[in-house]
Amino acid sequence: MSTCRESELDALLAGELAPEDASRVRAHAEGCAACKHALAWQRLERGWMTQRARRELVRPALSFSALEARLAVAQKAPAPVRHARREGQWRHWGKMAMAAAAAVAFVGLSLPRGGAGVGVGVGVGTEEPWSRELIVATGVEACEDAAAALEARVGACLIASPVLALRAD
Amino acid sequence: MVLVGTPPSDTDGERGLLRRARTGDPAAFRVIFERHSPAVWRFLRDLLRDEAAADEATQETFVRAHSRLGALRDEDRVGSWLLGIARHVYLESRRTRGVHVDVADEEHAHQVEAVLPTPSPEDLLLDQELAGLLTEALGMLHAERRAALLLRIDHGLAYEEIASVMGWSLPKVKNEIHRARLRLREQLAAHVGGGRP
Ligand SMILES: [Zn+2]
Repeated sequence: MSTCRESELDALLAGELAPEDASRVRAHAEGCAACKHALAWQRLERGWMTQRARRELVRPALSFSALEARLAVAQKAPAPVRHARREGQWRHWGKMAMAAAAAVAFVGLSLPRGGAGVGVGVGVGTEEPWSRELIVATGVEACEDAAAALEARVGACLIASPVLALRAD
Repeated sequence: MVLVGTPPSDTDGERGLLRRARTGDPAAFRVIFERHSPAVWRFLRDLLRDEAAADEATQETFVRAHSRLGALRDEDRVGSWLLGIARHVYLESRRTRGVHVDVADEEHAHQVEAVLPTPSPEDLLLDQELAGLLTEALGMLHAERRAALLLRIDHGLAYEEIASVMGWSLPKVKNEIHRARLRLREQLAAHVGGGRP
């Protein structure tokens, strides 16, 4: 890496680089203050986004019953002209669906529940947790130790990828 | 979110779920919805900056996804496919609502890095106040740049996937995300590296 490229550091953290590219970027970052600085920020951003995502796992308005009702309305509606369906129309469908959702929910709630914990994972992800190897290589070791102590204190992993964090434990 | 009925096993992979959903199996589509709707909603909320509008747009995203299940070619990329649909729903909504012009994102990213503090581990804790500031700082970004940044740092898409979702070249994706990062860091610099009041 002749110049510092944040996207390469990012890809390194995400485990997306081929081994030879990872070695090259890692070697550069070892001796580059700017890249160490950028890595510290990227790590912080990951941590913040992870925590933010965890706090917002449940959105009561997002019930499948409401969606089912809306799908039923959509399937009965005449086929929309391509590109002609706009927000006004789907807002209208939304209102119709809200009304229908109550009926669907009534039926749905009477069915047996199953698969606790099935629904919380996001299945597609490309990022990996911050690797210890990288942290050592880039001189963020002391920072990582302190982060581990902090995580132990609050009892939570603070820097795992948000994508991974959303998977059911 | 209420989970009812008897959904497929949580060990079902995305491919299996997708195939079942394509045959009209509502339980499979429900699992896809339950898995991905939190991220889709968060993405739309971040773009629309309106929770009720994000509820509506999330429903619309899945209605469209349901009708286009057969069009998804890469069965391993359900998440990025849904986020791509969500982005289109957002753009339509923005056009329809005649949404405000985004806050001007001045092109002064150069050398910002030099004056930023280096974060310390203590900064990792996202308290309520900081979470609010983060949301505010994200909101300061130009919407398209914000979308690209979030697809990367929140939703974990590869740069190539972001290029596909945004309809941009790969160099543009990298450049926009880098600029977004610098802007975000500039907004939050006072709250990291011991600079917190
Ligand atoms: Zn460098």
